[in-house]
Amino acid sequence: MGYFREAGKIGMKANNMEIKTSWLKSSWWIILLIAAGIAAPRVISEFYLLILGEALIMSLFALSFNLLFGHMGQLPFGQAAFYGLGGYGIAMLLTKYQINFWLSFAAGIGLAALAGLIIGIFCVRLRGIYFSILTLAFGQLIFVIIYKWHDFTGGDDGIQGVFPPEFLKTPVSYYYFILLVFCLAAFILWRITNSPFGYILKAMRENSERTEFLGIPIARYQLVAFVISATFAGLAGALWAPFYRSVAPSTLMWIKSGEPVMATILGGAGLFFGPVLGTFIITFFHAYILGFTHFWPIIMGALILIVIFFLPGGVLGFIKEKLDNRKKKEQQS
Amino acid sequence: MSFDVLFNQFLSGIARGALLFLVASGLSLTFGVLRVLNFAHGSLYMLGAFLSYSIWKWLLIPVYGFYVATLLSALAIAGIGLLIEYTILRRLYARGWPEQLLATYALILIITDIVKWFWGGEFLSIPRPEPFTKAVFLFDFPFPSYNFFIIILGLVLVFFLWWLVYKTRLGDIIRAAAHDRDMVSALGIPIPWLFTSIFVLGAFIAGLSGAVTAPYGAVALGMDIEIIIECFAVVVIGGMGSLPGTLLGSFIVGQVYSFGIMYKPELALAFIFMVMAIVLIIRPWGIFGRPER
Repeated sequence: MGYFREAGKIGMKANNMEIKTSWLKSSWWIILLIAAGIAAPRVISEFYLLILGEALIMSLFALSFNLLFGHMGQLPFGQAAFYGLGGYGIAMLLTKYQINFWLSFAAGIGLAALAGLIIGIFCVRLRGIYFSILTLAFGQLIFVIIYKWHDFTGGDDGIQGVFPPEFLKTPVSYYYFILLVFCLAAFILWRITNSPFGYILKAMRENSERTEFLGIPIARYQLVAFVISATFAGLAGALWAPFYRSVAPSTLMWIKSGEPVMATILGGAGLFFGPVLGTFIITFFHAYILGFTHFWPIIMGALILIVIFFLPGGVLGFIKEKLDNRKKKEQQS
Repeated sequence: MSFDVLFNQFLSGIARGALLFLVASGLSLTFGVLRVLNFAHGSLYMLGAFLSYSIWKWLLIPVYGFYVATLLSALAIAGIGLLIEYTILRRLYARGWPEQLLATYALILIITDIVKWFWGGEFLSIPRPEPFTKAVFLFDFPFPSYNFFIIILGLVLVFFLWWLVYKTRLGDIIRAAAHDRDMVSALGIPIPWLFTSIFVLGAFIAGLSGAVTAPYGAVALGMDIEIIIECFAVVVIGGMGSLPGTLLGSFIVGQVYSFGIMYKPELALAFIFMVMAIVLIIRPWGIFGRPER
């Protein structure tokens, strides 16, 4: 294990140098996007600001999913359970027990992390399609418990009146709060994927047997990644509840678990910001389509099939491929 | 707790297990041969239930129309299965399983919306067909005789699948393909044809099992995901792609569900998951499953 850690560190050093030299060249667009995010409330209407806030929260959710899917190579289909538990944690502590907002916020995330640990212990024993089935099943179990435990959780009524503190009550201030949390969380996740730990996850994705033979306890690494993913999904849920002023059991449902999967495949799972792009496309497209029809799922289903058949690497993967091709051509000529 | 109460609960569990076997066997068969987990299997089951209701209504034979409607809707779902396999899945066999899973997930979304479009969100039901309309009294407890129909149908399917898989030439090919697909292909067996027929058979079973649930009075949106989650528990407990495993898994889940409901209805699903967790700790691949790489 120590050997591999060292190997990972060496890999990271080489990578870091690469990052440093290309930092200014490749990250100008991140700075540009953050600037655009800060300027957004002055430019767009309140309606689109709310959609933008939703897109950021869902992007965080999709990023937490892609830590397991894109980087570790396992497809969890029950992430909505952690997202919903984050939301329910903060909502119940705030409304039922009148606990301080920040404590409730932290407790919601903690609840998701704890659930991630308990469910993860069972799920990381399996790989591939079995892992997907089991995560889906556990996710649905949590949904059923919250849905049926009417006395405690409000059942299908959900919980209303989840208010943020006074200074975050306007849409603009809460939007800035979302933007700040999103940037911090995305940065942490980015660091995790580029750490020795992240490289071990990638090694497990490429060849789990060989990684195991190198002395890596893959189940333990998988469990840690699972808990991290659940924690960030819970963070997204805890951000959502005060934003929407309520939570409903639909936040825990399997269909919610499918959303980050769709967004990631659409944007491109192989790239760190793929899930973010996919989420933005879906969220704004959704807001646009709802003006015409309620039959959103059928459009979504058709969109998934189109992406699978015609854009195998996702939108960002497609763009990257075109850019790489152009570079190659330039080098040749 | 007297013996007759327990016996009654046991029989309900058998009926529940038989229904689960009907649905899970198609799922497991498809997975065993194609190595594709059909997320939309539950949606085909739901579509079968709604279709049988509409066909039954259209037939205007209230007493025996049920049997005709069941057969017709199962055939119709088999046709839809053919369409799905031919236009979508066939193009994805060479790709990774995440894409296959996502494609069937897309089918769930599409089928759910189609059902919502045509039938709306109401609960529909067909009256129980002759001769299963009345309750049978076992130890002074009423037990719906329709449950016996489900149990008999489950047994028939068990014997049919056993005969198909272990006693026919197609069965030899099925077992060989589950073991080593490339070798079967190299021996000159047309794999695409095999895959299509197995998927269509799986869809037929899904449509049939959906249609026979209509007399339970629970034809509604959401029945697809409800059954598929329990079927996942069945195949995880029994072992994916294994016929005896699916049978044993259905029996266990049916019993746990039936006694769980008696003890605490809200937690019936939680009990199933506890059993599943115990099985996973002891045998991660299920009781009859084999490790997958």
